[in-house]
Amino acid sequence: MGQALRKRPTFRPTRPLAVWVAAAVGFGLLLAVARTAEGPLDDRDPAWQRPGFLDAGDLPVPAPPGLPVPGRTTVVFFVLSDGGSELCQALEAATLAEKVATAVVVADATPGACGASADVVADADGVVADDYGMRRPRGGGPPVGYAVVDATGAIRYRTLDPEVADRLGEVGTIVAALA
Amino acid sequence: MTAPASAVERSAALRVCLWCIVAAVAEVGLYVSYRGHDARFHWFTHFFVGSSLALVVMAVVATRTRRPVPLPLVWPFLAHLVAMLPDFLFTAGIAHERWMDVFLGHISSHFVPGRNLTWFAMFLAALAAYVVVVAQLPRAEAP
Repeated sequence: MGQALRKRPTFRPTRPLAVWVAAAVGFGLLLAVARTAEGPLDDRDPAWQRPGFLDAGDLPVPAPPGLPVPGRTTVVFFVLSDGGSELCQALEAATLAEKVATAVVVADATPGACGASADVVADADGVVADDYGMRRPRGGGPPVGYAVVDATGAIRYRTLDPEVADRLGEVGTIVAALA
Repeated sequence: MTAPASAVERSAALRVCLWCIVAAVAEVGLYVSYRGHDARFHWFTHFFVGSSLALVVMAVVATRTRRPVPLPLVWPFLAHLVAMLPDFLFTAGIAHERWMDVFLGHISSHFVPGRNLTWFAMFLAALAAYVVVVAQLPRAEAP
């Protein structure tokens, strides 16, 4: 009788429920904390921020004329007025500008200069950013990120990236994927 | 001379706790490895996807063998590693491609409606399935 009782499957609701509730509360809190840690320059939908692959969503689409250099891959950076110099310094130090054409679109009326690394364009009203289909960040201001245009003039990649000046190696990874 | 059943259970619980610590440290390591790739979002997606699949497999294995799976925290960790493998490649300079969905939907999993909340719900459902299966298994008899 006792042996039969020991072998019978037993249901222990307290412990499984405790494990499940602990996981639900713990990971739920972590998710909430992670969500609140996103900054005003991040994408409202994190899935579209730095997806890491070409031709996401409705891409490729033709790039607006003007900035892309015909026959060359062009990276068009979008920065705030106070972020241009940091990006320009990073471009001077990186090898990216040797491999591709670069342009910097500054969300300001006075674009300044970027040495020999890139053309600089003022975009105070956000028209250029809109023409490139750049997504608006959570904070609602101008975008900080970049678009990659291939040698045929098609936009193959675009993303917000508030720390793009520190991540030019990643831009190089995306550019290399075009080959 | 045999150990009392409560002592056996305490020993088993201690082993599980030690594995919890090992698994937690390993997962923190994976999170840190995402520093350059928006850890907040990507870690959760691949953790939930990998763990959900692992928990379903664990539930099937436990049902068939009539025993809880050994090292239950290692299975989700290994599945998480598989799910995030393309991110290791990305760190090494290889961009993502569509075919990398073979790694537990590495590309597509980010774009499901509801995003990480959907995968969180899947994870909780898979976890519920596994703990219910384990709870219904016969208790191990003391030696």
